[in-house]
Amino acid sequence: MRLSHLVAGLTVMLCTEAVHAHEIGTTRVSVAFREGRTYDVEIVTDATALAEKLAVSPGSDFEEKFRQRVKVAFDGADVRPDISYAVEPPIDALSAAAATVHLTGQIPDKAQTFTWTFGWTFATYAMTAGGATQWLEGGESSAPLALASLAPPPSRINTAWRYLRLGFSHIVPYGLDHMLFVLGIYLLSRRARSVLLQVSAFTVAHSITLGLSMYGLISVSPRIVEPLIAISIAYVAIENIFLSELKSWRIALVFAFGLLHGMGFAGALKELGLPRSEFVTALLTFNLGVEAGQLAVIGTAFLLVGWHCARRDWYRSRVVVPASMLIACTAVYWTVERLSL
Amino acid sequence: MHRLLRSSMLLRMGLLVTAPLLAHDMWIEPMTFSPQTGEIVGVKLRVGQDLLGDPLPRTTALIHQFIVEDSEGRKPLVGRDGSDPAGFLRVAAPGLLVIGYNSNPSAVELTSEKFNQYVKEEGLDSIAALRASRNETGAKAREIFARCAKSLVLSGPADESVGRPPPGITLELVAERNPYTLRAGQELPVRLTYESRPLAGALVVAMNRMNPSEKLTARTDKDGRVRLRLRPGGMWMIKAVHMIPAPAGSNAEWASYWASLTFEQSRN
Repeated sequence: MRLSHLVAGLTVMLCTEAVHAHEIGTTRVSVAFREGRTYDVEIVTDATALAEKLAVSPGSDFEEKFRQRVKVAFDGADVRPDISYAVEPPIDALSAAAATVHLTGQIPDKAQTFTWTFGWTFATYAMTAGGATQWLEGGESSAPLALASLAPPPSRINTAWRYLRLGFSHIVPYGLDHMLFVLGIYLLSRRARSVLLQVSAFTVAHSITLGLSMYGLISVSPRIVEPLIAISIAYVAIENIFLSELKSWRIALVFAFGLLHGMGFAGALKELGLPRSEFVTALLTFNLGVEAGQLAVIGTAFLLVGWHCARRDWYRSRVVVPASMLIACTAVYWTVERLSL
Repeated sequence: MHRLLRSSMLLRMGLLVTAPLLAHDMWIEPMTFSPQTGEIVGVKLRVGQDLLGDPLPRTTALIHQFIVEDSEGRKPLVGRDGSDPAGFLRVAAPGLLVIGYNSNPSAVELTSEKFNQYVKEEGLDSIAALRASRNETGAKAREIFARCAKSLVLSGPADESVGRPPPGITLELVAERNPYTLRAGQELPVRLTYESRPLAGALVVAMNRMNPSEKLTARTDKDGRVRLRLRPGGMWMIKAVHMIPAPAGSNAEWASYWASLTFEQSRN
């Protein structure tokens, strides 16, 4: 296995060495599509070289001269962009001035593809659009870009639904540790009041740290948070073995543990990424999804064991204690595992 | 005169529009050709056609050799990867400075039409004949090309010195007289060497910044030499291209070398 990796690595290295470097100039082009209605092509290029090219070009003004050198096409048909430009002076005597040219306009109705050609550079340049880059030569047309793949950001409803589902799936089925914690809360007492108070404390607490973490106001390393989450699960489960009534300190502890779990949720949500335009929507619906996941765990537990057995004499000895021991063992194992990472 | 100028401009534009993907020249353009002693000079690399070009920022992976030779010896041109100008030098002493840039090869694949057209434009008749004899004229061509650019910069008064021994870049245009001492009407002898040996029969083209479409052309004699009668004033670029079958294992059929030599002519 390792040998094959080594061989693969060496092959990549050798292949990379055989690739010849290109003569890449200072010109770069970036294309933006706004809400599927307008386009904006930005060309940043050397101002002196551009001035020299303009000086020998037929035409009366900048716009007319520049227009002859660029081609903006949708579905293969050329469009006529509006042209504006600005020149940024050099930062010091030994550097070059840059010119920025913008080509803007409306995207034709029902257009499917966008093609770009810039005939006024002699070196290789990068064209970026929608996060993808094409390396082009002067005069070479870009590969057609599918506008659908560069679609505007999804609507608020779509975002809300997506993050609601992400929040739910972060508990069921992917968040076994959070599931076990919620089960631990459920198993303490057969009274509905006990479950309600603990779940409320947990929810309020993790909502606070999730929000604060996502806004960057607090930041605790997962190396600290993740083992502590495992310890919190072990603690709740072990306490269930010795305690059968809700005490006020238990609510306080569950609240404190909720703060930890919130930071864990934030870590996961940061990995998923939040759309900048719908930050609050995504944050709130992810949290709601998490609540829904918790309620699903409690509802399932209630239907499976609580409904039939909670009033039985053996409920504690045959359900609560063994289940809590199992949860505690799992959590202790996780604690050791997470501490060693 | 005005009409002549206009038509030459249109000719240049025509070249630009029809041949944007063809092989381009590459030359060295210092920020000044007549620096003061002690001055720091930015040295730009430019790629383009008819002296209309884009700056090439410093690309470490492309540089085989980027040096300056002055009376004190040879020094590398310093610079930061990705920066334009690509290199900087400090003029340590008055005299002639020879800047040399020899690139590593870049790869390009051209359609048969484009390759044939460029082979014709650069006067590479032997390559065209070789392709014809191999029945390859209609085939696309994979090529590796390397840049071999030089520039002559003068600090202080000119003397007959032509600098220290040439930097020894693969394909090299060597001015056998100091061009800064030429008087109007005098010829500049230039020698083309490939791997330090004279290259005969190669097309040498000279063009001036003030009217690049008006080109001087000559073929090198058996000693690799041409004599060019250069009009005074403005920046001159002299260029030549040499092509050979690509070495085995280079993943290309052809290897080309692009020599250029730039300097400025005073108006005396």
